[in-house]
Amino acid sequence: MSTLLEVRNLKTHFHTRDGVVKAVDGVNFNLEPGKTLAVVGESGSGKSVTALSIMRLIPKTTGVIGTDSDILFKGESVLGMDDAGVRSIRGNRIAMIFQDPMTSLNPVYRVGRQIGESLILHKGLKKKEADERAVELLDMVGIPHAGERAKDYPHQFSGGMRQRAMIAMALACDPDILIADEPTTALDVTIQAQILELMIELQERTGTAIIMITHDLGVVADMANEVMVMYAGKQIEYGTAEDVFYRPLHPYTWGLLESLPRHDVSEKGILLPITGQPPSLINVPSGCAFHPRCPYAKDVCHTQVPQLTSIEDGHSSACLFSGDPGFRRETASPSREVV
Amino acid sequence: MSELLRVNNLKKYFPVEQGLLTSRLSRKVKAVDDVSFTVNQGETLGLVGESGCGKSTTGRCLIKLLVPTSGTVEFEDRDVAKLRGRDLKAFRRDVQFIFQDPYASLNPRMTIGEIVSEPLVVHGIGTKTERRSQVQDLLKTVGLNPEHLNRYPHEFSGGQRQRIGIARSLALRPKLIICDEPVSALDVSIQAQIVNLLSDLQDEFGLTYVFIAHDLSVVRHISDRVAVMYLGKIVELGDWKNLYDAPHHPYTQSLLSAVPVPDPEKQKSRSRIILQGDVPSPIDPPTGCRFHTRCPIAQFPICSEQEPELREVAPGQRAACHFAKPMPIALG
Repeated sequence: MSTLLEVRNLKTHFHTRDGVVKAVDGVNFNLEPGKTLAVVGESGSGKSVTALSIMRLIPKTTGVIGTDSDILFKGESVLGMDDAGVRSIRGNRIAMIFQDPMTSLNPVYRVGRQIGESLILHKGLKKKEADERAVELLDMVGIPHAGERAKDYPHQFSGGMRQRAMIAMALACDPDILIADEPTTALDVTIQAQILELMIELQERTGTAIIMITHDLGVVADMANEVMVMYAGKQIEYGTAEDVFYRPLHPYTWGLLESLPRHDVSEKGILLPITGQPPSLINVPSGCAFHPRCPYAKDVCHTQVPQLTSIEDGHSSACLFSGDPGFRRETASPSREVV
Repeated sequence: MSELLRVNNLKKYFPVEQGLLTSRLSRKVKAVDDVSFTVNQGETLGLVGESGCGKSTTGRCLIKLLVPTSGTVEFEDRDVAKLRGRDLKAFRRDVQFIFQDPYASLNPRMTIGEIVSEPLVVHGIGTKTERRSQVQDLLKTVGLNPEHLNRYPHEFSGGQRQRIGIARSLALRPKLIICDEPVSALDVSIQAQIVNLLSDLQDEFGLTYVFIAHDLSVVRHISDRVAVMYLGKIVELGDWKNLYDAPHHPYTQSLLSAVPVPDPEKQKSRSRIILQGDVPSPIDPPTGCRFHTRCPIAQFPICSEQEPELREVAPGQRAACHFAKPMPIALG
């Protein structure tokens, strides 16, 4: 299987008045066709900036992508492209869905017209053809009476329908990669279930690879083949969904899994939160950025920056102790029931 | 176990603003439509539902932030609507509120000390120095550094701000705290800190909570009893364990099945009940059972004509469905 997307040592830093914000600081991953990679982390961990960097949507005035960073789409460097090259990919080969479907749709254009826009731009369709195709796409994402609803404005759609319209727009050009940035966070659970089901179904049909950015581990468990956990701009764990949920390596991942209340176990568990606060990205702690909150931190963690290291086949962790055989935690195995 | 709060047939309708030229016969959003429940001393009642189900409006009616259209709220056997003067002030002291958004609910121009001591000032409690030491104690109780009382809200993170809001709500030693989505704006690791803090405070001060949230897992974790709301009505109410282990109402069942479980094998193998469409508008709610338009087990015409009563379906569990029957969902 050929690699669709390769992200190499991605560093996206923002120069602000208060200092340099290292939003993304050395991220590597590969995305294979038809697979779903979930990027998990708390606010400020750099997951959205990773996505925006891939889409080349980082403002040039403040954001700087490291010179040794590279993003290869089908072997071609996205970072090295000129604006025309980027435009031929963005929205066409790589499409993105944003968290808030209201602010990402233009309120003064009809929904159908907005969906058709990328078809006119990228596929050279005539206006009328694009309108027809937009209706088909709306129908595909499950909007009832798509023919009439295509003539509606975004405010006439409910939240779930807007997100469906966003998905239709993203899929209009049949992209190779769909980046979904918290696509269901603003939606109610029953609507979230509809949207996730739709995404799974469309992926099976179109074979699109998905990068799913989320903080919801339930959504990750539902969608992901592979999982990347981020903390303070760095990858701290990477592996298959089963690896990360059942055999997590990094103490931060343990903390995340143990701080979740579960409704799928018969008794109430004990929540073991991670102490302290997420670090400021301007003053990232020395050594391992997680050390001030880590219950296992030793002196060496204050000084030595752990690198993402492969521990088991394809399962890697950025913790100095992950290689120790005893440094393991069975957290979320199916039998986990704390009484 | 004594009843601290009793809510009887609570209704809250909001008039819909109409244009100048259209009919002034205003329509109404039936945000809360005939809701009754009790809250016992020392327990946590979870109010759960999707946006627009009326859970926050219910919460606001409980503390008289909103005046109900009809129905009564009784706190310690006294009708809250009839409280005046000194009694009302005492009620305001006994019942506190924690808001969802820790950024919007703290005045950015006041220091933490001023924010937390304001309830004490309003109720004329203590001298300035006494209040200062009380504030320091409160900050310590909620896990903040008491030295920080001269700082401003912007110097704190979301989780710390929520702690400040909690300290403020504790200042008057209330009996009942209404928590309106207190953790939904927070990251998971911080969310767990705040949930644990709320539980600890409940044990320490014998507090009673009404915990309003949309996150079913958090509600399950913190609540003794849970009420599920849909379009202004309680559709199911019961002990947390019964309600989650054997939900009787098809809406509760589909809600529980919709929440993804953080366990890949379990999640990928469990069957989901996917509801069709969106929640109907509360301006013109469906006739009969309000859920019948999306219900997978609705039968006609009974469900579209006859409104189901909230009736006992199991000991300590009530559901408003003509065809209520238990269905284990959560364990998938």
